[in-house]
Amino acid sequence: MAEPKYQRLTRLRARSQFAVIYQSRSGLWLGDDHLLLVEASGYTENYKRFYFRDIQAITVQATERGRVWNIILGGVLLVTVLALIFTIPKTAPANWTGNQMAGEIALGFLAAIFAVSFLLSFLAGPTCKTYLRTAVQTEELPSLSRVRQTGNVIRKIRPLIVAAQGELSGEEVVARLQETIRAPAPAATSRPNPPDEAPPVIN
Amino acid sequence: MNPLVSCPGCRAVLLKDVFNRPDLTPCPSCGVPLRVEVFPALFRRINPGESAQPVVMADESSCFYHPQKKAVRPCDGCGRFLCALCNCELLGQHFCPACLEAGKSKKKIQKLENQRTRYDSIALSLAVLPMLIFYFTIITAPMALFVAIRYWNAPASLVGQNRLRSIAAILLALLQIGGWITLIFFLSHRKS
Repeated sequence: MAEPKYQRLTRLRARSQFAVIYQSRSGLWLGDDHLLLVEASGYTENYKRFYFRDIQAITVQATERGRVWNIILGGVLLVTVLALIFTIPKTAPANWTGNQMAGEIALGFLAAIFAVSFLLSFLAGPTCKTYLRTAVQTEELPSLSRVRQTGNVIRKIRPLIVAAQGELSGEEVVARLQETIRAPAPAATSRPNPPDEAPPVIN
Repeated sequence: MNPLVSCPGCRAVLLKDVFNRPDLTPCPSCGVPLRVEVFPALFRRINPGESAQPVVMADESSCFYHPQKKAVRPCDGCGRFLCALCNCELLGQHFCPACLEAGKSKKKIQKLENQRTRYDSIALSLAVLPMLIFYFTIITAPMALFVAIRYWNAPASLVGQNRLRSIAAILLALLQIGGWITLIFFLSHRKS
């Protein structure tokens, strides 16, 4: 059986920022006619397929998480850099003791780590939460957590969904939603299947 | 599911112009910036399932599972005749419930496959992690070799199709086994 080919849309990303011991990571891949959500936990991978013809809506909600992280990382970076500056001995580096040298190297290393983290977080841009809705579920896509990255992914998959379903303008959506609100709820016409109609189990 | 779309933050129903815009637009209720892409599937009605029709004429084909019900089509998996109730459609193919279940459990229908075990990662972990406490490798190296070879043909990740991890696990395990054999050989010769 030939394996389907997938194109990576996002890297695997932890569902929770604070998951340290047990991390379930989630990534998004593009297939021929569907999106594949991969959830990797330990040594198993779970898959969810969202077919383009079934996707009803994609909602992106901006969050403050990125700004909070930037403030925290920036603050820690500032403290580390200040500590580095104020602990530099007055003597020339050649005259530093072993302890002084080790302390400056450790502080410099810490400052570099925080500087890189801050820069990466800052350059990645504002954060968001992304939800994908089908007729039977609304699924959060944890790997789409940055507004710019999510915009790029939507730009890539939107034409595929439109090709499968057609397109609606914003005004058409509003008009149809208002029609839905005005329309009376349909009366229940189908009766539930009686228990004896369920298919038998074959052993 | 209700065709109305709500804000994920405040749960207010969105009815104004926030749909299919290229940028983030504030939610009219809570002001959180949102982008909502809506597609025609939102307004598609879900057809209720068909109910099976009884056999009226004597020469009509009947369902394998419900002999009193009229067959509407054969199963694409086993060829048994199915009534409308037993006919399960999956991406243009039609299966009976038994074939659908077998297709999922035996991984014959790939579109239904929703989990895979990464044996290559298990083998690599068995080969790498015990190196922190080297003595464990006398047990774990053969285990890593066994897992890598035993599951060589097992399907890897659905999205990553190479055998690099298995190869790395085999090479590391062979190195560790070789190291232990050399050590034992060296110690036994030194004593004698």
